[in-house]
Amino acid sequence: MRWSAIKAFAVKELKTTLRSREQLFWIVFWPMILVLMTGYIFIPPSVDQPKTLKIGVVNYDNRSTAPFNGSYFVQILDEVEYKGVKLFDVVEYENESTMVDDLKGGRLDGGFLIPRGFGANLMMGQATLRIYVGASDLQSAQINEAILRGFIEGMSREIAYRKVNETIYYMRRYGSQYMPENLTIPGFNETLVEFLEVWMTGLVEPINATFVDVKPETLMTRSTVIGWYTLGAAGMSILYTGLNIGSLMAVGEKERGTLKRLLASPATSTDMLIGKTLAGVLTLGLTTGLSVIVGIFGCGAKILWNPLKPEHWLVPLLLVLGSLLMIGFGMLLSLVTKTARGASGLSTVLGMMLSFTAGIWFPKSWMPEWMRFLGDVFPATWAIDAMRSIMVFEAGLAEVLLDTFKVLAATTVVYLLGILAYRTVLRRYAEA
Amino acid sequence: MMNLSNDRSMYEPAVSVKNVSKRFGDRTAVDDVSFEVKRGEVYGLLGPNGAGKTTLLSILAGVVNPTSGTVRILGTSPLDSKTRGLVGFCPQEPVVYDELSGFENIMFYAGLHGLSGSEAVKKCRELLDKLGLLEHADRRAGKYSGGMKKRLNFAIALIGDPEVLLLDEPTTGMDPGIRRTVWDLIAELRSLGKTVILATHYMEEAEALSDRVAIMDRGRVVAEGEPDRLKRECGLRAVINLELMEPAGGALKLVEPYAYERAVYVDGNSLRVYVEDPDTVAPKLVSRLLNNGYKLLAMRISPPTLEDVFLKLTGRRLVEE
Repeated sequence: MRWSAIKAFAVKELKTTLRSREQLFWIVFWPMILVLMTGYIFIPPSVDQPKTLKIGVVNYDNRSTAPFNGSYFVQILDEVEYKGVKLFDVVEYENESTMVDDLKGGRLDGGFLIPRGFGANLMMGQATLRIYVGASDLQSAQINEAILRGFIEGMSREIAYRKVNETIYYMRRYGSQYMPENLTIPGFNETLVEFLEVWMTGLVEPINATFVDVKPETLMTRSTVIGWYTLGAAGMSILYTGLNIGSLMAVGEKERGTLKRLLASPATSTDMLIGKTLAGVLTLGLTTGLSVIVGIFGCGAKILWNPLKPEHWLVPLLLVLGSLLMIGFGMLLSLVTKTARGASGLSTVLGMMLSFTAGIWFPKSWMPEWMRFLGDVFPATWAIDAMRSIMVFEAGLAEVLLDTFKVLAATTVVYLLGILAYRTVLRRYAEA
Repeated sequence: MMNLSNDRSMYEPAVSVKNVSKRFGDRTAVDDVSFEVKRGEVYGLLGPNGAGKTTLLSILAGVVNPTSGTVRILGTSPLDSKTRGLVGFCPQEPVVYDELSGFENIMFYAGLHGLSGSEAVKKCRELLDKLGLLEHADRRAGKYSGGMKKRLNFAIALIGDPEVLLLDEPTTGMDPGIRRTVWDLIAELRSLGKTVILATHYMEEAEALSDRVAIMDRGRVVAEGEPDRLKRECGLRAVINLELMEPAGGALKLVEPYAYERAVYVDGNSLRVYVEDPDTVAPKLVSRLLNNGYKLLAMRISPPTLEDVFLKLTGRRLVEE
């Protein structure tokens, strides 16, 4: 084993790889495209902003002289905000059928039909209101309905509180004229008015619930999710590029016709193996680095790396181990492939399949039980999950150390088996 | 590096092949071949395609293991990586990396031979210059013509400053001018004391360059020796080539009695007659053919070549048409 030969193989591999447009696309551009697609199509910047619904309104209560009429309601719809974002983008219609046509055409998220006398009824009794739920797809129908329901329930509650407050105000102001001052309810120390205030508040809102926002860490923010996917894109490249590098290690040279000359040179097959593996690991490091840069600076991904934290130094180790693992698997694949085209095709297909089953591209929680099992037993998943835990979810050393050792053990076994396969294939090709 | 000044090793043959056979399944590519090549000698392996030359060179290069027999290069096994460092191998097909420039290709192999830095750069540039590729050194090899790739292929074989050079059809596909340059280089290598094993099916190449020749056919060495000696031992003094107006097959019986050991070969309208005494036989041959109604287009008397030796030994031509 000689360093000059290893270096020669590594430099040659890097040059031939980076000068091949096809390889350059798959190794460099494809992961970057995946990250950008994640950041701008699957999880667009608007994803963690409140949604503004485009709603239609048909107002038949716009001529009422009551203190509150349909026009005031439309004004409320137009001005109401949630977390600083307008909740509705209001479009007024002359009649119901035109609005329904736009709902059916998917041009509106919802609609309100305000009947005549709506305002007066709201003040003095119970008002009726027809609400249409529209949607451009099934998922948004559920979201739109929830928003519309939430708004109406909130508004109903507000109106009820106002009515209670008004009632109590008049009871306090005029009650003493008609009710004895010390009138109390047996078993309670409050006056009748105080009792009625509590009672009516209970009628308006029997449960005063407090909602505390605790979301799963994986879905905490858009930047976290993009961080998760960015490392997934890098992991996906490690899967199929690693398989590709391993499976082409011998057959690539054979098909170029260079193998016999290399075997006749003073370089050993070990020099070739190490040189090519080194180039493969550097290539995959480049892929990961570019994906991370695009994820952070292009899409706002949350990916942390702090050299002062010892667990963060496990990341490059996990990257190298993951790359070696997949190169090892690739060398095992070369036992069953006879041509470079076959090796490359099989690597890409297997890499794609594994990226789905291994929880690299989709969270394992989305998968059926049997598929989740595949992810749980696949060592590359351990490596990528550990990298995600450290760089996205700020896991400590103790949380990832066991997984790192598991990856180390699996990589050692797979790579050694890969070397045996590589030597077998070399002998087979030399004798051909 | 191996100590080449060692006294014992200086008397050893550079290449020793003993009873080497190589079988691929049912097919025997090399069949019980033995020979020795001295240091500083150019040894030709002459034979048609499929004679086993390439397989034999692969065995000598340590790429393929023989099924039986032994091979020693500079006294050691060709499988030893140190030995391979002293051997330059030029395969028949130009094998270069198309994505790399000519210079990068040769630098890659320099790295495999342990050369690096300015020493490697200097050596690579010298070789490219010798083979007329220096001005194309930075062009990608994929853009090279077939002849340029062959030259680069040859240059790569020389990068390790080999003691033993194994050349498999090194000039096939080269134009005559470049072929002459390669021949000159081989001659220069011999003058430097390098050992060259040259597999070729070009009879004139083997004759011009080789100190000794092994003629191979169907995996076996059918004759071995210096070219002139081989021709003498075949009993051939001259060859009379006769071009007739019509197919020459019918004339075979007429000329056979005049040929040495009845050695006559027919090829279309041509007759190739091997004789001991051309001055006496030529007029008789012409007169016999004309008297029997054959019309003669041309006649040429020439000394025999290795092609004629091969033809006489095997009944077939080196290059089948």
